Amino acid sequence: MNKRPFLALFVTPAVLAALASAAALAAILQYAFRAYVPGSLDPGGFSLSNFEALLRPLYAQVFVQTVWICLLTAFITLVVAYPLAFALVRTRNVALKSFLLITAVTPLFLGEVVRTYSWIIVLGNTGFINSILMGLGLVERPVQMMFTTFGVVVALVHVTLPVMVIMLAAALSHIDVDYEKAATSLGAGPVKAFLTVTLPLSMPGVVAGVSTAFAWTFSAFATPQMIGGGRVSMISTLVYQLGFASFNFPFAAALSITGIALTFAVLAMAKQAIRPLEKIGAH
Amino acid sequence: MSSIPPDVASQTRPVGVQIDGVTKRFGDATALHEAWLKIGQGEFMTLLGPSGCGKTTLLNLIAGFLEADGGEIFVSGSLMTETPPYDREIGVVFQNYALFPHMSVAKNVGYGLRMRGVPKREIEQRVAEALALVKLAAFGDRKPRQLSGGQQQRVALARALVIRPKVLLLDEPFSALDKNLRGSMQVELKEIQRKLGVTTIFVTHDQSEALSMSDRIAVMSDGRIRQVGTPDEIYRRPLDPFVAAFVGDVNVLPARLERRLGDMATVALGEGRVQVRAETLDGLVPGAAVDLFVRPDAMRFADADGVLAGTVATHVYQGSHVDVLVDVPAARGGRVTVRVPGHEAPGRWPAGAHVSLDFAAGDAVAFASDAK
Amino acid sequence: MRRRLIPARIGERILKVAGWSVVALIVAFIILPAVVVAISAFNDRAILTFPPQSWSLRWFRRAFTYRDFAVGFQNGLIITAFASSIALVVGAGFAFAIDRYSFRGKRALEAMLTSPLVIPHFTIGLGFLILAAQVHATRTFALVIVCHVVLVLPFVMRSVYVSLRNLDGRLELAAASLGARPGMALWTVTLPLLIPGLFSGWLFAAILSFNEFTASLFVTAQATQTLPVAMYNYVREYADPTLAALSVIYIVVTAGLLTLANQFLGLGKVLNVEHAR
Repeated sequence: MNKRPFLALFVTPAVLAALASAAALAAILQYAFRAYVPGSLDPGGFSLSNFEALLRPLYAQVFVQTVWICLLTAFITLVVAYPLAFALVRTRNVALKSFLLITAVTPLFLGEVVRTYSWIIVLGNTGFINSILMGLGLVERPVQMMFTTFGVVVALVHVTLPVMVIMLAAALSHIDVDYEKAATSLGAGPVKAFLTVTLPLSMPGVVAGVSTAFAWTFSAFATPQMIGGGRVSMISTLVYQLGFASFNFPFAAALSITGIALTFAVLAMAKQAIRPLEKIGAH
Repeated sequence: MSSIPPDVASQTRPVGVQIDGVTKRFGDATALHEAWLKIGQGEFMTLLGPSGCGKTTLLNLIAGFLEADGGEIFVSGSLMTETPPYDREIGVVFQNYALFPHMSVAKNVGYGLRMRGVPKREIEQRVAEALALVKLAAFGDRKPRQLSGGQQQRVALARALVIRPKVLLLDEPFSALDKNLRGSMQVELKEIQRKLGVTTIFVTHDQSEALSMSDRIAVMSDGRIRQVGTPDEIYRRPLDPFVAAFVGDVNVLPARLERRLGDMATVALGEGRVQVRAETLDGLVPGAAVDLFVRPDAMRFADADGVLAGTVATHVYQGSHVDVLVDVPAARGGRVTVRVPGHEAPGRWPAGAHVSLDFAAGDAVAFASDAK
Repeated sequence: MRRRLIPARIGERILKVAGWSVVALIVAFIILPAVVVAISAFNDRAILTFPPQSWSLRWFRRAFTYRDFAVGFQNGLIITAFASSIALVVGAGFAFAIDRYSFRGKRALEAMLTSPLVIPHFTIGLGFLILAAQVHATRTFALVIVCHVVLVLPFVMRSVYVSLRNLDGRLELAAASLGARPGMALWTVTLPLLIPGLFSGWLFAAILSFNEFTASLFVTAQATQTLPVAMYNYVREYADPTLAALSVIYIVVTAGLLTLANQFLGLGKVLNVEHAR
C-alpha cells in the first residue's frame, strides 16, 4: 500500500510557489551586489559599494530610528493588547466575546491605507483631537502630531494590535484556568495569582507576539510614509524613495537585504529567549 | 512446557485469524515482539493489558492501519499482510466511535455498502436491518452528535457489522461510557456477537470486562503475549506473575521451594507447607526463593493453626463483600487482603484482633521470586 | 473570618471594574479612528474639520464616481479572485501534506512558504519588481497575482492546517476499514469536513489580497492598479473626505464579512484563540 498517496499532487504546486518567492529574493540578493548606473534602470557590474553606503551616518541613522520605532511599537502594543486578549479569552459572555474578537480582528483586514488615513483625520492639525483640545480651550495652537515619531508610533500600535491580540489570546487560551484557581486556593490574591501563574505561563505567547509585532512594524510602509510625511524615515520609506524617486534599485535591494538580516536576527534572539520559557508552558 | 495448550479452543473450529510471529517497531522501540496467536472462527478473543502493552498495535496491524516489520497475518486462511485496509473486509469499532459527523446515522451505516457498489435498494434494506439489530431503527435520519454516547456506540457497531466483515475489531469501545451503561452494552454486544457468529477481537485494559465477555483472553505486557486462555484459566491458573497480578487482586507471600514430585511441588511458607502445581516452577531447584500468589477470595481465617499470623488493620466495605486488610509481617508489602462475604466481618474480626490465616491447597500459584 | 472576607470581596470588585475599564479604553482606542472617519465622511466641507458644520452624502457620490477607484476596484476583484483561489489550492494541498506526510525538504519548503509573514512586504514587492525587470516582463496582472499568492499563502496554510489538526484521523481509518480507497476517503470524509477551514482560509486570503498595499505599490502599473494603491495616490493629490467615505464602506463591509464568518465558522477556532471541544 502506498503510504503517501497524493504526495506529488499536493506538494508540486507548493514547490512552484516557493520557487517564485525564492526567485524574487534571489533577484534582490543579486541586485544588492551590483553597481548603480545613474539614469539607467539596468544595474552595472559586481560591486560592494551599496553596503559601504549603508555605513554613512544618514542611512545608519535611519536604521537606528527604524529599530527604535519597532521596539517602541512592539512593547506599547504588548501592553495595550494583553488586557484585551485576557478579557477575550476569559469572558464567558458569548456576545461580548464575539464583539471583542471582531473588534480586535477587523483592523487586521482593513489594510494599511484605510487605517492610516483614519489616523490622519484623528491626529491632523485640524483633526479630531486638535479640534477637541482647541474647542475646550486647552491649547491655543494645534498640537503637532502629524509628521512626528509619536504620531507614527500611535498609528503603528493600532496597525500591530490585532496580530498581537491573536497571538496572546492563543497562548492564554491554552492555560488552564485551574492553575489560577489552585494559586488562589493556596492563598494568593487574584493579582498575585495572575503575576505568579498566568503571566509566566503566557510568556511564550508574549515573546512570539513581540517578535511578530517587530517584524510587522518593520514591514509597515503606508503608516510611516503617510503620517511621517518624509520627516520620520524608516527603512521601508527609504527603499521606496530610492526605488521610485531615484531608480537606485541596487541600493534599495541592499537596504532590503540588510533589513531581512536584521529581522531574522531579532526573531532568532526571540526564539532563544523563548526556549527556556517553553519548558514552563509545557504541560 | 505448559500443560494448557494455548489454542485449545481453536482446535475445535476452523481458524478465523492467525497471527504468525508478527513484530512491529516504532523507531528504536519494539511495540510488538513476535506475536503468535490463533483465533477460531466465531470466537470472542480479548487482548488484555495495560496501556502501552502492544494490544492496540496488534489490533491496528490486523486492521491494516499499520504495516508489520515481520511475520504474517491470515484471515480465514488468506494472507493479509500486504492487503490494504480497504480490501481486508474487517469491521472496526473505534474507541471514540469515529462516526462521520457530516453524515446521518443511516448514511454512516450505509457507507461501507456504498463503497462496495451495493445496489441502492439493498443498501436501504441492509441498513434498516443493521439499525434494527442495534435497536436504533427509528434513528436513521439523526446526525451522530444528536445521539447519546451509548447510541453512538451502537451506530458504530452497526456500521462495522453491516458489511458482513470476516472479523470484527473493537478498540476499548466502552471506555467512554459510564459504568451502568457499560454493563448493559457489554451484555448486548455479547448477544449480537453470538447471534451473528462473527470472529471478534476485543481490546481492553479492563480485566473485569475481559473476564466477563471473552471466550478466550490473550494477556499482553511490554509488547509480548504473556498467556492465552479461557477467563477461568487466566484467573485461576496464571502462568506468569504479571498475569497473576494484572488480572484480579492478589496477595504475594515470599516462600521457598522444598521439593518437586511429578506435577506438584511443596513450598515452605514459614512453618507451614503448601502444595502447588509445578508447571510454573520450571528450572528451579529445591531451596530456591519463590513467590506464592493467593487471591483475596481464596484466603480464609483459620481457627488457630493457619500458615500465616497477623493483626487486622482495617476493613473496606465493598457492598457484596468486605475486604479485611490484615498486617502480616511475612507477606510482601506487610499486608494481606482477605475477601469475606457479608457485613458481619467487622464484628467477627475487629481491627487490632490477632488472627490466623489459611488457604486451600489448590488456590495458590508459585513463581520464581523476582526479589533479590 | 467574616470580617476579613468582606474587604477582600470589595477588593476583587474594584479590580474587576478597573479591569473592564481598561478593556473599554482599549476598545475605544481601536474603534476611535473608525468613528472619526465615519463622522468626517458625512461632513459637507472639503477640509477636514471637527465638528462638521453641515452634513452631506457628496463624498460617497464622489467615491463611487471617481474613475480610478472604479478601475482599482475591478482590478482588485480580478487579482483577488485569482490570487485567493490559487492560494487556496496550493495552500490546502500543502497543509495536507505537512499534516500527513514526512518527506525530504518539508521543513525548508514550509519555511520558504511562511517567510512572507516576517519578510517585509516592501522587500517582496521590490523582489518581484526586479525579477520582472530581469526577465523583461511588464507589470501585468500575472505578476501582481503571483506576488499576492505568495503573500497570502501562509494564512491559507495556517487556516487549513488548524482544521486538519482538529480533524480526527480515525475517521479516515474508519472509512478505509469500510472499504474506501484513499482517494474515496479523501473525497467523502476529509474534504466535506474541511469545508469550513477551506472557506475561511479562502476568505482571509481574499480580504488580505484585496487590501494589500505595500507590495502592490511596487508591482502594479497604471493599468493594474488596485484599490488601496488608487486610494494612496488619491490622498497624495486631494485632501477632501472622499477617502473617508470609501473607508466607511470598507470598514462596514469587512466587519460585516467577519461577523458572518464568525457566525458560521467560529472565528475563534479558526484563529486558534479558543478550542474546539
